[in-house]
Amino acid sequence: MQKKAPWTAFALVLILWSQHVELSAQQFLARNGEVSFTSSTPVEDIAASSKQMSCILDASTGAFAFQIPIRSFHFEKALMEEHFNENYMESAQFPNGIFKGNFVNWNAATLKDGKPHPLEARGELTIHGVTVQRTISGTITWKDGKWVMQAQFKVPTAAHEIAIPDVVKEKIAKEIQVNVNATLTAK
Amino acid sequence: MHLFLVKTIQAYRLVVFFLALTCAPSLHTGLLGQPDLLDVLNEGVDEPALPVTATFKDTRIVNGQSNETPAGGVLHFVIAHRFGRINEGAYALWGLDNATMRMAFDYGITDRFSLGVARNTLGKTYEGSLKARLIRQKTGSQSFPFGVTWYSVAMCDGLRWENPDRENFFSSRLSYVHQLVLTRKWNESLSLALTPSYLHRNLVATQQDEHDRWAVGVGGRYKISSRFSLNAEYFAQIPKPTSLSNGLSLGVDIETGGHVFQLHVTNARAMFERGFIFETPGSWLKGDLYFGFNLSRVFTVRSR
Repeated sequence: MQKKAPWTAFALVLILWSQHVELSAQQFLARNGEVSFTSSTPVEDIAASSKQMSCILDASTGAFAFQIPIRSFHFEKALMEEHFNENYMESAQFPNGIFKGNFVNWNAATLKDGKPHPLEARGELTIHGVTVQRTISGTITWKDGKWVMQAQFKVPTAAHEIAIPDVVKEKIAKEIQVNVNATLTAK
Repeated sequence: MHLFLVKTIQAYRLVVFFLALTCAPSLHTGLLGQPDLLDVLNEGVDEPALPVTATFKDTRIVNGQSNETPAGGVLHFVIAHRFGRINEGAYALWGLDNATMRMAFDYGITDRFSLGVARNTLGKTYEGSLKARLIRQKTGSQSFPFGVTWYSVAMCDGLRWENPDRENFFSSRLSYVHQLVLTRKWNESLSLALTPSYLHRNLVATQQDEHDRWAVGVGGRYKISSRFSLNAEYFAQIPKPTSLSNGLSLGVDIETGGHVFQLHVTNARAMFERGFIFETPGSWLKGDLYFGFNLSRVFTVRSR
């Protein structure tokens, strides 16, 4: 019995080690994903974009998260950018927009056929410090050993408690159209 | 034989120790559940070095400069009024009858450098100025605790010569103020400025007046809400001539979308640096106060 114990420990360690190697091989990352958004009203169209979204996918489970620094969004007009950060998003207090969740019915093997697949991600979207349960649909494509993701969704400003004063209500849409693009490479 | 066994066990222990080390992260995932993917995402990534923005709402605190400049390609237009002395009483509607005006255009060449021209009704004074953000306050991996901004203005007196018969020189109309504006945004509400200032006048009124003078300004703002702040500033002349006062101004900033309104009460009537720092006769204690406002609007001339 005393002789057996060390070998069991050795085997356990080996199994965990191999798991670890496999797990890290299944994580995919992007550091320069693109996020853009538009607010369209009859009075004014406002658009901004950023290429600083980072996102991560665990291809073994379909767990997925992305994060975007609010300060990285750039507008055509500097004053809009200042108001966006100072008055609406309060980015000093809430520096990041975050999504954390899982792809529904994730099966990496069937997705790896090089074709775009529609897919839903279910999870928590945190903007302006307010977390909302969301199901976001998009497409995912396996291409040259990388996962290419695209999604469009709407963000209602009221749900995230982004206060818009009456004087500018005509100029800012109630729902902001958001586009996300990222190519994730193996970690 | 015995020695060989000991050595084998030692080697075996070393291997187990090494493997245990390398699989520590998987013990974490395997036995304690999934690690937070966001933690994996952010591990080893430095917080980005970001310049601190919106230290003040406008390019001026009341009269004195803040660290702010118009963004690159943006034209910043200011109309400012100072009414007459409040202690003129009801006959002059507490000064409202006697307005002086300043009109100014500042253009951002880049996000950190701007040029400006202005015209004041007081003394028919013209101004040409430049402003540069030399060092910006920064947060993150390369943080820096305060900002340094340089402001220089040349002022040209536009009044007709008092003695047209004698020989007068254009250079006599000119005076210059150079400033370093040291600013720090302490938090979302409080920003402070310290402003060492130097004046040179080519021509002075009497032999007792000095051509070169120094002063230090202190100013700040405290935000009550995202669109409303209280502002104050004080310029201490070093040394202060006995016939003059130091300028003290109190005001508010109100932001309404594209405009910033600054309303204030000050003992300085002039709106150019030579005047409001170095040539202020009015005293707060005697009620020599002027109500006034700055109204600014930006125009995006060149897209980014």
